[in-house]
Parts: sequence; structure tokens; C-alpha cells
Amino acid sequence: MVRNTTLGSRTFEIANIIVLGLLLISCIYPLWYTFCVSISDKSAANAGLVTIYPIGFSLTPYKEIISDSMFFNAFWISIQRTVLGTSFTLLMTVLMAYPLARPSKDFKMRNTFMWILVFCMLFSGGLIPWYLTIQNYHLINTIWALVLGGGVPVFDVILIMNFFRNLPKELNEAAVVDGAGPWSILFRVYIPCSIPVLAAVALFISVYHWNEFFNGLVLSNTSSHYPLQTYIQQLVVNIPVGTNLTPEQYKKLSELSNRTLNSAKVFIAMVPMLVVYPFLQKYFVSGIMLGAVKE
Amino acid sequence: MKKNMAMLLSVALLGASLTACSSSNDSSNNVKASSKPESSSESPALSGDDLAFSKFPKPVDVHIGMVVDPTDKTLPEGDSVSNNQYTRYLKEKYNINVIVDWTAATGNDFKQKVSLTIASGKLPDGMVVDDRSFMTKAASSGLLYDITDVFQQYQSSQVKDIMASTDGRALENASYKGKMVALPNITVDTDGVHVLWIRKDWLDKLQLPVPKTVADIEKTAQAFIDNKMGGDKTIGIAGPSKNSFPYSTFLVSSNNMGGFDPIFGAMDAYPGYWLDNGDGSVSYGTTSDNTKKTLALLADWYKKGLIDPEVGTRDNVGDPINANQTGIFFGPWWNGGYGNGDSFKNDPTANWQAYPVYSDDNKWNAHMKTTGSTYTIISKNAKPDVVKAIMIMNNALVRDEATFDLSVAVGWYPLRNVMAAANETEYEYTELLKVLKGETNPEDYNKPNSLYKLMYADAKKVKDVIKPPYDELGVSNFSTANFGDFQRLYSIMIGDRPFTTTPIDKKVYSVTYNQTPTMETKWANLKKMEDETVMKIILGQASIDSFDKFVKDWKSQGGDEITAEVAELLKK
Amino acid sequence: MRKLGHQKHYYLMLLPGMVWLVMFSIVPMFGVIMAFQNFNPGAGLFKSEWVGLENFKYMFQLNDSKTVIVNTFIIAVGKIIFNLLIPLIFAILLNELRSLRYKKLVQTVVYLPHFLSWVIMSTIVIGIFGYYGVVNTVIGMFGFDPKLFMADAGIFRQLIIGTDVWKEFGYNAIIYLAALTGINLNLYEAAAIDGANRWQLIRHVTLPALTTTVVLLGVLSLGNVLNAGFDQVYNLYNPLVYSTGDILDTWVYRLGLQNLQFSLATAAGLFKSVISFVLIFISYRLAYRYADYTVF
Repeated sequence: MVRNTTLGSRTFEIANIIVLGLLLISCIYPLWYTFCVSISDKSAANAGLVTIYPIGFSLTPYKEIISDSMFFNAFWISIQRTVLGTSFTLLMTVLMAYPLARPSKDFKMRNTFMWILVFCMLFSGGLIPWYLTIQNYHLINTIWALVLGGGVPVFDVILIMNFFRNLPKELNEAAVVDGAGPWSILFRVYIPCSIPVLAAVALFISVYHWNEFFNGLVLSNTSSHYPLQTYIQQLVVNIPVGTNLTPEQYKKLSELSNRTLNSAKVFIAMVPMLVVYPFLQKYFVSGIMLGAVKE
Repeated sequence: MKKNMAMLLSVALLGASLTACSSSNDSSNNVKASSKPESSSESPALSGDDLAFSKFPKPVDVHIGMVVDPTDKTLPEGDSVSNNQYTRYLKEKYNINVIVDWTAATGNDFKQKVSLTIASGKLPDGMVVDDRSFMTKAASSGLLYDITDVFQQYQSSQVKDIMASTDGRALENASYKGKMVALPNITVDTDGVHVLWIRKDWLDKLQLPVPKTVADIEKTAQAFIDNKMGGDKTIGIAGPSKNSFPYSTFLVSSNNMGGFDPIFGAMDAYPGYWLDNGDGSVSYGTTSDNTKKTLALLADWYKKGLIDPEVGTRDNVGDPINANQTGIFFGPWWNGGYGNGDSFKNDPTANWQAYPVYSDDNKWNAHMKTTGSTYTIISKNAKPDVVKAIMIMNNALVRDEATFDLSVAVGWYPLRNVMAAANETEYEYTELLKVLKGETNPEDYNKPNSLYKLMYADAKKVKDVIKPPYDELGVSNFSTANFGDFQRLYSIMIGDRPFTTTPIDKKVYSVTYNQTPTMETKWANLKKMEDETVMKIILGQASIDSFDKFVKDWKSQGGDEITAEVAELLKK
Repeated sequence: MRKLGHQKHYYLMLLPGMVWLVMFSIVPMFGVIMAFQNFNPGAGLFKSEWVGLENFKYMFQLNDSKTVIVNTFIIAVGKIIFNLLIPLIFAILLNELRSLRYKKLVQTVVYLPHFLSWVIMSTIVIGIFGYYGVVNTVIGMFGFDPKLFMADAGIFRQLIIGTDVWKEFGYNAIIYLAALTGINLNLYEAAAIDGANRWQLIRHVTLPALTTTVVLLGVLSLGNVLNAGFDQVYNLYNPLVYSTGDILDTWVYRLGLQNLQFSLATAAGLFKSVISFVLIFISYRLAYRYADYTVF
């Protein structure tokens, strides 16, 4: 990086470090808090007494989780969903982005398709028709419902398409001169040049699949088909507003509000994302220019 | 071009398939309720309890959607929601084959699944819904089986007795436009009776008497705060959270933990209820003068710092209670014990005791709840045998719940919809006291057909949990060795003591516990205004004068219309 | 010439995605007719009573519908603006860091709050802004009285916008960071040699590289102009803040919860979609006409 050693510049650097440091602390706090609650004593946590540090110490929740086969079942389903979903969706979006990145004179129907996509991004029939459609395809309770149910991620398609469009035209022309067709151009030229944005999109898609819980709930009939976040969220107290609870129900819900256990589950569920991110991060922190065209 | 044609074709095709699938609903066989007694083909016609517990000659498949408790670990290895002691029991004794189509966790998940199921128009044979509007929506959409006659025929004598004990209210609750369309839920009356829960150990330390009236409570709360009984951040009186309510209402008439119900009652105010004025007209309790007075009182208390400063915004109603920060809160019998277990764990000397709150002229006024709030609804397309099977399942549960091995939670029983004797808790209180004092034996309660299904089990363990002296039970009498037992018996023996031993002077029932037609479009808005006004007054964000404007607006935005509709109900 | 032969390949590439789109977006879209019906589940989509614009009329004549729409709009637009700006500023600041390790650390940590759902986050937020929470403690150190933030309708919207931006800025910055990696380092060197200071470098090298991304994200985020965030508001609001905090989605949720008003929910959804589409279309045309820029 360029070095600037003026006083103003130095001050800026220090201020920058401090500001970013404060942001760092504020962002790690929720995670830290969740962790503290998960290892605290159950009753203290349930009384809302845990704030900045754990109270008491207990690894019971983690032990319970390790022995809960349903948890790992859901974990495995989430992994399947995320891997399948990310690879499938990434492939689809790239395949769609390339033709849409072509100028209209090269691809005549380009604008039509683009507006169809945008339209579909904004308009929807709502939850019920969507659910009924998937039900009619007999996909309820299958992994494919989870992978396909979210539909085409138009936002990601547009993102990649935009990136493709901003790549130098020379790349395309050089490849055409070499006799390449669209498929080779896409896979041999465009994709290698778009690693940062593809990595970012891969991250977005996988995070979506990993975190998504609502589809997991409505598209599954029993908890043995739940992905992880769906499994977890049924355990976080969610007393519907305006319900008559019987003492038994309340007791059940109190168990559900076992904050230490819930925090432990939430914490464990975040671990894969914490592991995946640094792996993908290197693609967009390094600042290496990827260019292959001689001017 | 070709691609577009292909697309259009596939769209049309899929659109057509949607049509086919959704119209199959009403083109399929419309099953009507059987209107004459049916006899099983060969043998002589059964009736009464023989019929109520008859076994089917061939297995009957009953498809259900079921609510489950995701934290429950009581199923033995190898068992599941479709295969456990309860499903096996139904198969062996009655030849009923329970098939679980789908499950969902208690709470929002289950509500979501139920609403999707109703929206799709394809109900399973049976499911239990926990919101009356789900039942009425399904009924008004023509999706429910009319069980008026089948129920009459197949109810067991026990069920008949329980229904009768509600004076027809349970039947009305489960009916839509005069037809019975669901099996009603009947829960104990005491769930709707809200009492004062107070830290007796704090009172003893400060040598204060148990507060009886609203003025007493004010003084006591002040004393708790002045003496920092709950630490530096002592809260005098805990109140509702962001999700709970200052008072129960005609639609949600029970189990209001952390509300102010007894305070309103002591001031002869019944907000949220439809009141019979005695002259053929009705009024909505929230618009009354007494409610206004009570709100002014609560606002005054808040200003003086007697009420939790975070009232109405808290995440969880139980937090200050379980943290032992507060010495006073209001709620039904089970709030002490079942409802605040962590409070005892955090402080084993927390002697929570329950008392009525009296008006200035020494009367205990209380609003009473509706009979129940869950409904077993049966699909219109269910076969007649299936409908009968569901009746029998209900009969069997009511009779045999006491005989089940309860180490496997009874929540796993398919289509479980509680029908309890309305006074079950009071009965247990009285009888358990007798067992403790040696006047009766646990074995005396070993009656298979008893209306009070849990009595025997409780009688057997009560002496292990509660130690003498038995006269003024406090937390020190209880053993917490088995915490679940502790919670249950604490709630019965201490929580229900007021309702069992002290008669309520004025019981107020709402003219209706259900929605009228205009309510379907206007109530949400009126309720929003009501909730906002009440909380703003209590927290001092709006002056008590805004109450009058609220009443005016409420009336003109639909309140008068609805009041007239409710008044019509009086004429029936 | 050769390029014409490419057309069929373009169609082929689009085909799988379009099939996916048709099956899961377009087919369900027909269900939008529920907005014009009095939907009866027993009769189904094709036989329910047609009521035309009744549902919309009902929605708009309710007393608080205007307030609710205004709340939704203010919160959503506030979120759009700050969710564009703050991650951008953050990405630029991060880019200025010299220590690669510190850069990676900050980047990894700040994207974490995105992963916690609002059900969990709301507990934390309510705790932080609670009567005895961190914010009030700090205020107390300056001699002010504690304030019940969660009950204050006057700052609820700001609270919603602020906490959402804080929760998402790290995640939202990723796309900017990806764009920043594409900047040719030589550009910085060349400009520095010409005597540019840090600020000028940012203005003339860094920002232009991000312009197209910002505009793209901006236009696309117009699709959310009436999406104020149900999960967040639902988990944080209470009756005291209804006047500024009740948004379209929570309002419809309460109306719907009472009576399973499917048609009403669909009508509200359709309303949102139409407004979003119109805005996106307008901004697309404006960008094309005045900036000669085709957004997508």
C-alpha cells in the first residue's frame, strides 16, 4: 500500500484502528454473550442474570447436545442442503449470468429475460400458493424441496452478470478470435477471472441455506427432516402472542426456554460458518489483481 | 419462438395441474354426519359405555397432525410419535391405527403448520388446534365434520358428566352456527382465577401482615423497595412483558401470568370482558369508569416506582420473578411452582404464597374463564368409522389417563385434548390435605373410572414431598428432590389454596368468549388502540384524560356496532 | 456471423435456470389472485368468491393503515440508505488498514452478528437498552437519568434502523470488499506519485471502482422499499411503540392471526410488490437516461 507519513495521515490511521476496534468488540459481544449463557448455571441464565460474564459453570448443555441424535441428524441434513444447494445454485446462477451479460446485439432476447427475472424477484403469489405448488410436486419432506424451494436467486444472478459485464471486452474478443464458443469462454475465461465475486456469491448462498429455517419448517412433515436451524428454532421460546397456555404447556415452554441449552445449540450451529468463512475470505481480502489480457 | 412456446406450454400444464389438485377437494365424496344410530353389521346395537369403548372389527386408520414437545425425552428407545405405548394401546384395545401425517413443535411452529393445512383445504382426519379462530375459519370454509350426533351417541358417561358440569358452555364453545364441529377442551376453572403471589419470607422479615386490599399492596410494595429486599434493583410489583397482557380478555381469558387482573377485580373493573348490564344491554369492560380509575391507580404506582420500570417492554415476564428481584406479582394458581421453578432454584428460601385481593368492602371479585381453548377438529372427508374412532380415542383418554405409565409423557397420546373436571385442582387440594393428615389413604383413590385422573398418583407421592407441620404450608415444608413433583404439588397446595378455601364473592363471566361477525374485520384495530392506550397511561406517556378520547374513538371505529352484536347474543 | 451461432447456446445456458424459475416462481405466482378473492380454503383458488379490490379498500380504510405504511416506508428507506452507506464506509476504512492480520480479524468478526436470528438478538438488544443496561449505565456516568428506550416511540424507528445496520454491515460489506480486490494496485502507485494524499486516493481511485456496485445495490434494494423487517420488529416491539413501530408486515400479521385472513395478506404482499416494481423501473430508466448506465 501507499505509505503516507504526514501527521494527518498518521492520526487517521490510529483513529481508524480504534474505530474498527470498537466495531470489532461490539460485533463479538453477541457471540460472547451467547457463549457465556451456554456455559452458565441454568437458573441464573433463565433469570436473565447473565450479561457480560458467565455465572456459575456447567457443560451440561453441551453434553446433552452430543447425546442428542436428532441434533446431529438435523446437522447432517443442513450440511447436505448447503453443499447441494450451493453447488447447484452457483452453477445455475453462473449459467444464467453469462448470457444475460451479453450485449443486446449479441443476444436479442436478453432484455426480455432480464425483466422476467426482475419481475419474478419482486412478485410472488405468497406463502400459500408457493406451499401448495411444492406440495403438488410431491416434494414435501425431500431434500430437493429445501434446495430448490427458495427459487432462483435473482439478486445473485444480477450481481454476477454485472461483474461479467465489467470485465474487459478484450477478454471475450480474444477468446472468440481463438475459436472458442460461449461455453468455453464462460468456463475457461470468465469464471477464472471472477473468483472474488463467485466466492462472495458462494458465501451468500451457503449462508442462506445454512441459516434458513422457515422453509425447513413448512416443507417438512416431521422433525427428522428438519435442517439444523429449523430444529434449533423450535427450541427457542416463541410463545405466540394471544394464546391461552395451560400450565402443562407453560411448563413445556419453560423447558423450551432453557436458555443455556438453547444458547449452546445456537453456538454450535454457528461453528461451520465460522470455519467456512476464513476459507473463502482469502479470495476477497488479498487484493491481487486477476488480469490476463495484454494491452 | 420454440423456447417461448415450450415455456408457455409448461406454465399452462402446471397451472392446469394446480387446478386439478385443488378442485379435488370439493369434488370428492361429501361425507355427511350420520343421522341415525348405526349398528355394527352383525352384532346387536351397542349403546352407552359399551358403544363408547367398542373395538372395531377391522383396523381403522386415523390420520392425524400432531403437536409435539421437542424437549421431551421420555420416549423409550425405539419408540416414536407413531409407535409408542399410547398408539399400541389404541391398536390393541380398539383396533385403531394411528398414522401421524405430520408433527410440529408447540408454539408458533404448530400454529404455522395448522394454518397452512387449513389454507390448503386438506385436513388430516383429526388434529387439535389451539386457537378458536382456526376452528371457525375451517368451519366457515366447510372443511369440518358435523359431529353433533356422533358425539351424542359415542360419548362415554364420564365425558357426558364433564360436559354437563359446564352447563352447556363447552358445547357452545365447540359449535359453529349451531352445529358441534369439534371436541371441546375443558380445563380447570382455576386457570382463570388470578391471585396475588407474594414473598411471604420478605413479609416475615419486615414483620408485615399479608396485604389484603389494593392500598395494602401499595404499602407493602413500597416497604419491599425501601428495604431492598430483592437487592439494589428491587422491584415492588412485576408486570406484563412485551408479549403478555395487563389483563386477560374475553378471547384469551385465562393463564395470564404477570398481569394486573386481581387489581382490576378489586376495583370492580373487568376490562377486556363483555358485561351484562342487566337491562338487556352490554358494555365492554375496558370502557368503564372503574377501569379508568384502576388505570389511574396503576399509573400512580408506576410513577412512584412501585411497578417494574421496564413493564411492557421486558423480553420475558418471568425474568424478575425468577431472579428474585420482585416480591409481588399476579397470576393463576400454577404460577408459583410450575411457573417460577427457577426462582426456587436461585433461592431455596423463597416462600411464595398466594392470596386473593379484596376490594375495599372486603369482597373478592374475579372474572372467570371460558371452558377451554383447544379444539379437536375432524375433516369433513373423514370416513364415518374414523370419526367414531376419534370419539372413542377421546373417551379412552379421559377414562384411562390415570392408568397409564406416566413416565412416558401423556402428551404423546394422539389427539390429546384435555377434558378435566372443572374443579379438579380444588378436589386434589382438599383430598391431598386429608392424605397428609392421615385422614385418608392413597389407596382410597385408586379408582379406575374416577373423574380425577391424577389424584391417585399424587396421593402416593405427597407424603414424600411435603413434610409436617401441615397447617401453614410454606416452601420449607417441601422437598425438591424430585423437582417436577415439587413444582406440581407446590402449585396445587399453595397456588390453589385461595380458590379452594375462599369463596369468590362476585364471579363475572363474559357475555361471550368468541368473536362476532363484525369483530372479524374490526377487532384487530380496536384491540391495538386498547393495548396502546392502556400501556401508555400506565407508563405515564399519556395522561389519564386520554382515556376518554380512547373510549370515544373506540365506539366510533366499530365498538358500538360490535356492542350491539354482543347484546343480540343475550337474547338467546 | 459467428456470433449468431452463439444464440442457441445462450438459450441453452438459460434453460435450466428458467425451468427452475417457472416451476418455483411463476407457477405459484398465479396464486396472487387470492388478493382479489375472499379466499375460502374449502373452495380452493379457482372457486373462491371474487371480490375485486375489496381487500385493498379494506386495508386502506382502516384508521391506522396510513400510519403503518408511513412507518414501513420510513424504516425501510432508512435501512436502505444506511445499509448502503455504512458498509461502504466500513469497506473503505478496512481497505486503508495496513496490517493484513488485523484486517482479516476485523472482517471475520464483524460479519458474525448476521448469523444470529432476531429471536436471539432481540434479547440482547433489549438487554443493552434496558433500564439497567449498558447504554443507561453509560448515560448515568454523565449524570443523566436512565431512559426506557424500548418504550419510547420517538426513537424506536432509529433503534430499528440502527440495530439492523449494526447487525448487517459486516455481511453487507463483503460485496464491496470483493469489488475492491479488483482494483489495480498500480493505480494507487501512479496517483501517489502524482502527489495525491490519502483522501484524494480514496476519492479518485477507491470510490469510482465501487460506484457501479453501489448503484446496482441501490437500485436492487429499492425492491425492499416496503420491507421493514418483520422478524426484527416483531421481536422488539410492544404496544407502547405501535405508533411508530407497527409496520405493514406486523400489522397484517395481527390482522391475519386473528382470522387466518389469507386474502388480506396476499393483498398486502401484492401492494408491496407493485410499489417496489414501479420504483425499480423508474430508477432504471433514470439511470439509463441521465447517467447512460444500464443497471441490469
